[in-house]
Amino acid sequence: MGAWGFVGLAYGIVWGIILLYLISLKRRYNSAQAELDALSSMEATDRHVKK
Amino acid sequence: MAQSAQPIKKRRGILGALALIAIAIGLYWGLVIAPPDAYQGEVQRIMYLHLPSILTAYLSYFLVFIGSGMYLWKREKRDDILAHSAAELGVLFTALTIIEGSIWGRPTWGVWWTWDARLTLTAVRSLIEDESRAASAAAVLGIIGFLDIPLIHMSVYWWRTLHQPPSILQPNKAPWENVHPSMLTALTISFVGFLLLYFYLLSLRYRFGEMRCEIKARRLARGG
Repeated sequence: MGAWGFVGLAYGIVWGIILLYLISLKRRYNSAQAELDALSSMEATDRHVKK
Repeated sequence: MAQSAQPIKKRRGILGALALIAIAIGLYWGLVIAPPDAYQGEVQRIMYLHLPSILTAYLSYFLVFIGSGMYLWKREKRDDILAHSAAELGVLFTALTIIEGSIWGRPTWGVWWTWDARLTLTAVRSLIEDESRAASAAAVLGIIGFLDIPLIHMSVYWWRTLHQPPSILQPNKAPWENVHPSMLTALTISFVGFLLLYFYLLSLRYRFGEMRCEIKARRLARGG
């Protein structure tokens, strides 16, 4: 592999890993957000039933 | 909470956009404008990733240290969330540093990996975080782990192995005396890009940690 091959490999792997981490973090974030929203709506239903 | 979440989301979006711009300029400067190194040639361009990655990892472990210390002192959940978030990102940036170093090492040293003092200490540092530990134990470990940072930095002076002494951060010389100004500019822009990206990811990871705690507390309150 030539010098530019190693440079391309390093840049490709690094930005690939960062992108994968960002996607995984966004997924976890959105899933937690959805869970919170579901809890809020359940709590609202509970309050409504109690009334 | 809903009122304050929007401005934070907007600020996070601006941070993300700034990070993208800085990273794009850093990539262009590092790969196109900066000259090749007189000794290492084009392979030296990997350093525009390697140095910003390890400095960002150092910053992350410093935040683990602060968050852990504050948690042990005040017992506030937000400090524990900060320590956990910074630890996760610290592991990410340390792993990137090791990968970049390994790819740079193959054409420069002739090996992908060697049990050199600095490489081994850096690898050990990435293993000192584990999210599954209880908060106090993780906080103590986070503080102990931070003590590995000066060891990593000084290892190239204390042990004469394959890893060369620092090229930029030398004790008796200013950084601009050691490298070409264009190389230093590429490094600086790249570092700013990594910092902005780091704070964007930290903000996202911190909010995720907050939401997990909120979910846990609200589930307990509902008896589930």
